Amino acid sequence: MSIMQYNGGSVIAMVGKDCVAIASDLRLGNQALGISSNFQKIFSVTDRIYLGLPGLATDVTTLRELFRYRVNMYTIKEEREIQPETFAHLVSSTLYEHRFGPYFIEPVMAGLSKTPSGSFKPFIAATDLIGCLNFAKDFVVAGTASEKLYGVAEGLWESDLEPEDLFETISQTMLNAVDRDAYSGWGVVVHVITKDKVVTRTLKGRMD
Amino acid sequence: MANTGGGAYSYSLTVFSPSGKLVQIEHALAAVSQGTTSLGIKASNGIVIATEKKTSSILIDDLMLEKVAVVCPNIGIVYSGMGPDFRVLITRARKSAQAYWKMYGEYPPTRILTQEIANVMQQATQSGGVRPYGVSLLVAGWDGTRGQQLFQVDPSGSFWAWKASAIGKNMVNAKTFLEKRYNDDISLEDAIHTALLTLKEGFEGQMTEKTIEIGIISVPSTAEREEPTSAATGRPKATFRKLTEEEIKDYLAL
Amino acid sequence: MATASVYSSPGFDFSNQIRNNFLAEKGLPLPKATSTGTTIVGCLFEGGIILGADTRATEGPIVADKNCEKIHYITESIRCCGAGTAADTEFVTNLISSNMEMHALTHGRKPRVVTAMTMLKQYLFRYQGHVGAALVLGGVDSTGPNLFTIHPHGSTDKLPYVTMGSGSLAAMAVFESGWKTKMSREDALQLVKDAIAAGIFNDLGSGSNIDACIITPNHTEMLRNVEMPNERETKEKSYKFRRGTTEWKSESIRKLIVSEEITPIGGDAMDTS
Repeated sequence: MSIMQYNGGSVIAMVGKDCVAIASDLRLGNQALGISSNFQKIFSVTDRIYLGLPGLATDVTTLRELFRYRVNMYTIKEEREIQPETFAHLVSSTLYEHRFGPYFIEPVMAGLSKTPSGSFKPFIAATDLIGCLNFAKDFVVAGTASEKLYGVAEGLWESDLEPEDLFETISQTMLNAVDRDAYSGWGVVVHVITKDKVVTRTLKGRMD
Repeated sequence: MANTGGGAYSYSLTVFSPSGKLVQIEHALAAVSQGTTSLGIKASNGIVIATEKKTSSILIDDLMLEKVAVVCPNIGIVYSGMGPDFRVLITRARKSAQAYWKMYGEYPPTRILTQEIANVMQQATQSGGVRPYGVSLLVAGWDGTRGQQLFQVDPSGSFWAWKASAIGKNMVNAKTFLEKRYNDDISLEDAIHTALLTLKEGFEGQMTEKTIEIGIISVPSTAEREEPTSAATGRPKATFRKLTEEEIKDYLAL
Repeated sequence: MATASVYSSPGFDFSNQIRNNFLAEKGLPLPKATSTGTTIVGCLFEGGIILGADTRATEGPIVADKNCEKIHYITESIRCCGAGTAADTEFVTNLISSNMEMHALTHGRKPRVVTAMTMLKQYLFRYQGHVGAALVLGGVDSTGPNLFTIHPHGSTDKLPYVTMGSGSLAAMAVFESGWKTKMSREDALQLVKDAIAAGIFNDLGSGSNIDACIITPNHTEMLRNVEMPNERETKEKSYKFRRGTTEWKSESIRKLIVSEEITPIGGDAMDTS
C-alpha cells in the first residue's frame, strides 16, 4: 500500500483540435471505504487553465491553496494572466522545492496558451510528485487508475478530435479505466476547454 | 556637528529633515550627476542605451571597463554614477533574473526586473549601517506582454518608464536635446544616431568606439515571436545585445 | 538584511518531512518518482564530442514518457545527458546552466567544461547521493573537447568514451568493440547511434528514439530524434465514438467571450456638452 493510494482518485488530460479536455473521478476514500462522491480534484487556475491534483486528499487541498496564492500573487505583481507554460514551470518548481519531503500529488494541467498572433494553442502537461515535467503531445494521466488510463488512452486517442469528439473519447477512456480501479470512480467530471467556452459535464458512472 | 549642506541630517540616514527630505538621497543624486552621461531612447522597433566611457588617465587599460551590461537575454542596463555600486547592483539583477527563470522557465519582464533592482536600492535608504547606492540606471528590455520598455531607476528606489531619458553629468542638456529630437515613430537606426548626436553634445575629448558603449534591444517580428526559443538550444533568443567596437565605429563614421 | 526578492528560493523546503517520516514508519513508504532508466553515452572524435541518449522515462515498470529529452542544455557548447531520478537531472542541469550563464556574464568569457563539472560534483557531493543524478557531461571550450561522467555521489571520470544508466553495459559493449582514436564525425555519430540502439533494444529501462548532439568548437548541432526505430504504426481504423455515446447528468458552460448588450433607457440622447 502506498500513500498515493490512500484516498484514491485519477485524472487525465487530452489534446484535441484547438481544444483540450481534462477529466477526473469524484471519489474520496479512506483506503477501501468510500467517503465522498463529490470530491473535486480539478480546479480552474485561470479562465483557460485547469489543474488536476490526484493523490493524497490533504495535499490536494493544501496545494490547491498554495497554487491559488502563487498565481494570484503573479497576476497582481505582473499585471497579466499566467500562461499555461509558465504555470507548468511554477507547479514544477514548487513541487521540487519539496524534493526531500514531497507533497503526495501528481499534478495534471490542461489549458490553451495564447500565441503572439492572438490564436490559442492546446497545452497539456503533467509532473511526478517531485515536479519532473512531462509535456506530452497526446495525453497525460495520473492517479490510482493511471496504468489502466495509459492503456485505454493509448488505444482510443487520436489526433485532431473536435471538442465534442474529444469529450466522448476522454469520457469513455475515464469511465472504462476507473471501472477497473477499485480506488477511483463514483462519478466522473469532464471539462472541455475551447477558445470561447469551457464545457463542464458530470458523467453517469458506476457507483460501486 | 557637521556644517555641510544637510547639517545635522547629513549622516543619519533614516531621519527626515524637518523639511521632509532625506538628505543622503540627495547627496547620492549629486554623486550620480557627477558621473559620465548615459542615455536611452525607445524606438518603434527597439531601444538604444548608450554611455560615455571616460577614464581619468590615459594610462588606464579600458579593457575592464564595462558600463552597458547584459542582465539576461532580454534586458540590458546602463548606469551613471559610482562604478563599484553598479557592479553590486548588476550582480543582484542577474541573480534575480536567474531566480525568476528557475521558477517560471522564462526571463522576467522588464518592469518586474526593474522593480527588483529598485527594491534593492530602496532597501538601502532605510536600512541601518548602509548608504544609498550612488547610481542611476537606465533599464532597457523587451517582453512578450509589454513590448520594449525603458526605465530609469534612481538612488531613492523610485523608477519610471521613459520614451527617452538621460542621466549623469550632462543630463539636463541631453534631455533638452532629446526632447527636440524625439518623435514617437523614430526607428532604431535613427535612435542610435540620435543617441550618438546627444552624447556628442558636451562630450569631452574624442568620441570613438573606445570611449562610448552602446546596447540595443531589437524587437522580434511576429513570425520570430511564434518561435521564441532557438530550435537548436531550446533557449530564448536574445533581444538585447551590446554593439561591438566595429559596429560602433561604423555608426560613428556615418 | 531582509531579502528584497520573492524569487530567490532559499533552497529545499523540508516542512513535510516529519509527516512523511511518520507515514513511512506506519508502513506507507515514499512513492517512486519518475526515473530515467536510460542509456546515455558520450564519445570523443576528431574535432569534437558527440553525446547520445534514448528517450524513455519510466515510473517503475510503466513507461511515463515515450519521447522525453535527456540531453540538457548547459551552455551553447556544453551539454549534459542525465540518468537517474528525472526531476533531479532536470533541476540540477538547469541550476548549473543558470550558474554557468552568471559565470559567463561576470567573467566576460565562455565558461569551461571543467567549471560545469566542478559545480555539478560539488553540488551532488553536498547532497550525499540523495540528489539522484548520474550524468554524462560533454563540451568544447578553450582547452578543447572535454568529456566527463559524474556519479550521484559526486565522483567524476574523464574518459574518451563513456556510458551511463541502466543501458550502460549494452552501450559500452558497442563502444569497446567499435571505438577508435581520431574517428571521423560520421563514424563517431554512427557509433553513438549503435550504442544507444543497443541500450534501447536490450535494456528495459531504455527505449523509443535516439537523440544525439554533436559539439564542435564553432557549432553545436542538436539532433533530436535522429533515429526513430520504434515509431507507432498509424491505426488502421478510427476509434472515434458516435457523438452522444456518453451519458451525462449535468452540464455547465463557462462562457469566456464577454458579450455586451446596450439597452438605451429613456429617449434623450446623452448630454455630452
